[in-house]
Amino acid sequence: MTDILPPDEITADSIAEESLRATERAPRERRPTPGRGAKGIARSILISIPLIALVFWTVAPFLVTLSVSLKDKTEVFADPSLIPANPSLSAYADVLASDSFTTSFTNSVIVGVGTTVLTILIAVPAAYAFARFRFRGRHLLLLFTLLPRLTPSLGIMIPIFRLAIATNMLDKRTTLILVYTAQLLPLAVWLLVGFFQAIPRDIEEAANVDGASLWGRLRYIVIPLAAPAMITVGVLAFREAWNEFTLVLVLVNSPGNRTLPFELYQIQGVLGVADYPVEAAFTILTIVPFILFYTFVEKHVVAGIISGSGK
Amino acid sequence: MTTATAPKPKADPKPKRNGRWWQRKEPPRQDNNAIIGERKSTPYLFSLPAILLVAALLGFPVLWGTWQSLYRRPRLGAAPEWVGTENYTDMFSSDAFWDSLNKTAVFVSGSLIVGMALGLFFAFALFQVVGRLRFLRAVTIAPYIVSNVAAAVMFRILFNAQFGTMNQVIEWLPFVDSGPRWLADPTWAMVTVIFTQVWTDLPLVILLLLGGMMTIDQAHLDAALVDGASGWNRARHVTIPLLAPQILISIVWLSYSTLTGLGVVLALTGGGPLKATQTMAMEMYTVAFRNLEFNEGLAIATFVLLLNALLTLAYIRIGRRYDYEA
Repeated sequence: MTDILPPDEITADSIAEESLRATERAPRERRPTPGRGAKGIARSILISIPLIALVFWTVAPFLVTLSVSLKDKTEVFADPSLIPANPSLSAYADVLASDSFTTSFTNSVIVGVGTTVLTILIAVPAAYAFARFRFRGRHLLLLFTLLPRLTPSLGIMIPIFRLAIATNMLDKRTTLILVYTAQLLPLAVWLLVGFFQAIPRDIEEAANVDGASLWGRLRYIVIPLAAPAMITVGVLAFREAWNEFTLVLVLVNSPGNRTLPFELYQIQGVLGVADYPVEAAFTILTIVPFILFYTFVEKHVVAGIISGSGK
Repeated sequence: MTTATAPKPKADPKPKRNGRWWQRKEPPRQDNNAIIGERKSTPYLFSLPAILLVAALLGFPVLWGTWQSLYRRPRLGAAPEWVGTENYTDMFSSDAFWDSLNKTAVFVSGSLIVGMALGLFFAFALFQVVGRLRFLRAVTIAPYIVSNVAAAVMFRILFNAQFGTMNQVIEWLPFVDSGPRWLADPTWAMVTVIFTQVWTDLPLVILLLLGGMMTIDQAHLDAALVDGASGWNRARHVTIPLLAPQILISIVWLSYSTLTGLGVVLALTGGGPLKATQTMAMEMYTVAFRNLEFNEGLAIATFVLLLNALLTLAYIRIGRRYDYEA
């Protein structure tokens, strides 16, 4: 990628090239409306087949689960069609009325909110330090970005379990919050550093001249400007806490402290003959709250996932 | 980072030096801290909680675990005793370990093939999309918000041998009497696990590749178009070579995710049937948490971490080679 000029090096050539390119690109954006002539139809079919496949691939598991959740326990086997003959919400009623769901749902919310808040509380000052100050240890940032790849959940499972026993922290929601926060912090700090560096130093220096303290600058300049990045970090942290399975499996053992994924795993093991509608309804009910939350903040998150995905 | 939108700090332009050397003034030394008047301790206090937490709960456990893999408890409940590399020699001479290594190789390579093929296919499809269909990009991310356990339940329903939609579709095809018994069949169970794992991992791969495609200079594609290259040839000879960094990073990332991935396998098959899906991650879990041989389990974990470190090395080299920050 050596042929791409650094963005701040503007030359006459680059300007000319850019404008040329823009004019060339303009007609490409207006695609021929499908249906105009045989070629247009062929083209729209050619494009839509992969897209239909993509939608199928993504949505099919959700659809079949939804379908089963609306059926009766015996109907699942008797009538395997995708659209239930007489749909009922009884499986959902069963799940919502059960202690197992309400307890684990509450635990998931507690652990999720705790992880989100703690991650932001710790990551924001750390990222600010890495972004703004020259200090011994700022090179730890590089290590920070690589650490999550070197310490996957699988690698810390046994040691964390043994350490939790040794420190009497086993079977506590606090432990889960701390561990999830630690797992999220490198990504959170890395995302926020990029954002903080993009905030012009001059703004802060001007505020400093006007007598704003460090806290004042953080409160009124840095945090408002970095709000989108903080929302992204918050959602990623909440998602991790909401979905994490393998660590909660070893760190928690009493039913009162299980989160939703653990409880769902437990349900399918405990029921001798699988009660598929209940499992399906439980699954849907773990996903729906997060989807509601996620659609609410979706446009902030996609950018964050992209820039954090390689980590 | 490949498609990172986070801007890098601009390098300060070098101050122009006028006059002879004895007239030159050294540029004022850059202030140690960003903003005048901060205490020297501020950055340390700010970054300390994050560094401590990460060191204590990520760094230390891995190092401690590696150290503990050199110990062994002579019997359940006894204190661990130093055994040197015995856990490793035992591990390398056990059939279960080599079996799980085999299963891991199949799992990782299968996920890579399926994942990269589908990832590229879907990324190309999404890249063509403009206008109202852009919401499809949001749909693509849906599996990302599903936990491994939930994905396992969904795929167990989809691939159910008795009522699963998958077999209905297969049996609807001509020349097929009955679909495979998926999770009950040792061969097909692995296929099911691979598809489930890929389903959960694909959103990130698609986003990575799509981001890479968006940064490709349109001029390259236009030049190929002018030269009369067909759509396939443009993809094959222009887009894919220019996408090399994103493809390589996706490969490394998928390998990492499947090599260390436990959730999907555990929730979907638990390693069965007949240990057909007993990957190294599952083997480690079984040894440590079912047989309660923690130190022996740590030897397996350390081995996986070592493989994973090699992957990370590859990742860094990709970043260097393509001049991205890794």
